[in-house]
Amino acid sequence: MAVALVLATLVAACGGGDEDNGAAQSGSSGGGEAAKLEGSISVWIMDPGSPKIQGVVNQYGKDFEAAHPGTKIDIQFVPWAQAHDKFVTAIAGGKVPDVAEMGTTWTPEFADQGALLEQPGIGEGEYVSSLVDAATLDEKVYGKPWYAGARALIYRKDFLEKAGVEPPKTWEDMTAAAQAVKEKVKGVYGIGTTGLSEHMYLPTIWQAGGEIATQEGDTWKSALNSPEAAQAIDFYASFYKDELAPKAAIGWEEPDAQTAFINGDIAMLIAGGWGYNSIIATKPELEEKIGTVLQPTGPSGKGTAFAGGSHLVQFTESGNHELGASFVDFMLEPDQLNKFTSEIGFLPGTTAGIEASGYLEDEARKPFAEQLLNASAVYPPSPKWGGLEGANIFDGQIQKVMKGEETAQDAVAELATKMDEEFAG
Amino acid sequence: MSSAPAAVPAGRSKRAPRPPAMAIARRAVNRLTLPVLLLLPSLIIIAGLVGYPLVRTIYLSFTDTGLGDLIYGTSEWVGLENFKEVFTDEHLRTSLVNTVVFGTACVIGTMIFGFAVALLLNQRLKGNLLFGIAVLLPWAVPALAASAIWKWLFDARYGFVNWAMVNLGFDGFQDYAWFADRESAYVAIFITVVWQSFPFVALSLLAGLQTIPKETLQAAAVDGANAFQRFRLVTLPLLRPIVAVLVIFSTIWDFKIFDQIYVMAAGVPDRSADTAAVAAYREGFALSHYGLGSAVAVVLFLILLAFALIYVRLVGKEGEFS
Repeated sequence: MAVALVLATLVAACGGGDEDNGAAQSGSSGGGEAAKLEGSISVWIMDPGSPKIQGVVNQYGKDFEAAHPGTKIDIQFVPWAQAHDKFVTAIAGGKVPDVAEMGTTWTPEFADQGALLEQPGIGEGEYVSSLVDAATLDEKVYGKPWYAGARALIYRKDFLEKAGVEPPKTWEDMTAAAQAVKEKVKGVYGIGTTGLSEHMYLPTIWQAGGEIATQEGDTWKSALNSPEAAQAIDFYASFYKDELAPKAAIGWEEPDAQTAFINGDIAMLIAGGWGYNSIIATKPELEEKIGTVLQPTGPSGKGTAFAGGSHLVQFTESGNHELGASFVDFMLEPDQLNKFTSEIGFLPGTTAGIEASGYLEDEARKPFAEQLLNASAVYPPSPKWGGLEGANIFDGQIQKVMKGEETAQDAVAELATKMDEEFAG
Repeated sequence: MSSAPAAVPAGRSKRAPRPPAMAIARRAVNRLTLPVLLLLPSLIIIAGLVGYPLVRTIYLSFTDTGLGDLIYGTSEWVGLENFKEVFTDEHLRTSLVNTVVFGTACVIGTMIFGFAVALLLNQRLKGNLLFGIAVLLPWAVPALAASAIWKWLFDARYGFVNWAMVNLGFDGFQDYAWFADRESAYVAIFITVVWQSFPFVALSLLAGLQTIPKETLQAAAVDGANAFQRFRLVTLPLLRPIVAVLVIFSTIWDFKIFDQIYVMAAGVPDRSADTAAVAAYREGFALSHYGLGSAVAVVLFLILLAFALIYVRLVGKEGEFS
């Protein structure tokens, strides 16, 4: 009954949509210094999981308030794992923030619901282009790229040395390395392949030469029912099946795998620059023991990773579009941007920001930048994708393959059906 | 002397003439006005907080409402389509079965453990007050926090449970992944749920036990009843009304169990350990299928209603439920 109540109260709360879009739209496109900024806005930022990075974001608010007296920026941190649900609830309940950080795969979904404000004035070459694509729905852009990153492979140098293997360059190398670690380093598993991180296993489909979905006119069609996808899932699951990954990893999310890496329970991990930073922040003595390479290449010869990141978006139902737009632009100024991205381990989402970052000169972090710039792709920018991710429709099938309860071919066929149902619905 | 008996009926009839129908009605209204006025505030609150959401959820369960429909108020009536899907969709059907089976197991576990603790606390032992307070503690821990703590206790590599089992000589528990299977995950969640819900049961039963006159039990002892017979034939029947209420409460709590499942069963392969409450939430808020999510909630509501009615009837028959 509690669920019935919760569902219904939320639904009840969202009776009438506000109709103040007209006034607000003219404000955000005007963008002149003439208008004096005032009022207050609430801003939701994904919790970076470290007080130091939270401090950087909070400082944005303080600096902005100081530069524009009479304004108030209220910043709240939302954990990634709950963020999608929280946005949905906020939109349904009509209690949206004014400005928010949004995972790139969610932007088209919420834009399609009419929840997001169009962002005018996105200049050619100003932002990382794949991230602009990810924010585009029907040729309109609904979010400004804030930061981006792609997962590469990080490994414990000491473990691989002890096992007598080089950092893997291909799928075969990776399997061999994991096996060698298992045999020669006691109590350490080869790799942390988890059951609950689609950003780890979905890109293997690209690496195998497959596609995740293809666009057909207005709609998308799943491309998962293919030998390449099956091969990819087979490869991913093989580590767990062959006990090269910990038994509990089937129920792990990425942070769990990261914890295992920090504790020295696993030798290799698919992780992004943000993960790398957070590992070193937790255990500084690991810095000299961790190596970074591009993701191993699959049968297609590609080691494509998922290019993830965040947009800064504004909500249509926000009461102060002008102040929101101004704060977003403030956060995207190259100097401001780099304070944040250098801490969090992502690349800035603007080209000016990347130039100012000096990322490519840092040996340990360079592979993360190369992975993003040269070997990454984005998921289909379909409005339905966020829901697919939100519901974790992939995990269940992958877990079944990992447990050996289902063949990879059956799993991808099943997933393709489910995806097509969502794309159509 | 003879005038007195005559005067009384005469006087009465004068002072209280048989009232006309209108007056009876008015008096009835007057008599009802105050109670109704007094009840009104709570009735309004209940109607607003329980009645409206319930009606709205039931309405939603017959529509195909998604997130956009919520914002713009457009949704289509689909009849029983959602309910059909609840029973044909493998995951949703499993979640309903899980709810009933696992919920029942939790009720039984909670009642047995609660009874055992109540009987122990009823003994005149040293430090009973301390134990009483200790027993209350699990109940005071928020369900979400308790779930997170127990998840850690059952962690494969760093959990206390595996460490203890290995040290007790069960080497199979080295790195044993409790949450990699539905069955073992349920063992862990069962322990968490029972640990959290037995205090209320135990203390309610303890209160009941203390109302049983010692003479009754002594009389039974004199008649030659042993301890188990005294419990079965004297204590249990006397506690029947309390037990019945506790079973109803526990059933309602354990069937709509959310926090523990949401936290602890999230990684169980294919989400096969989800209960109806979690499934409804995920269907509604993660997938934006509000219609289908509402349908799951309505089915859960009906199941609970059925169980509650059965219990009330069973107890009512005994004529001890008042």
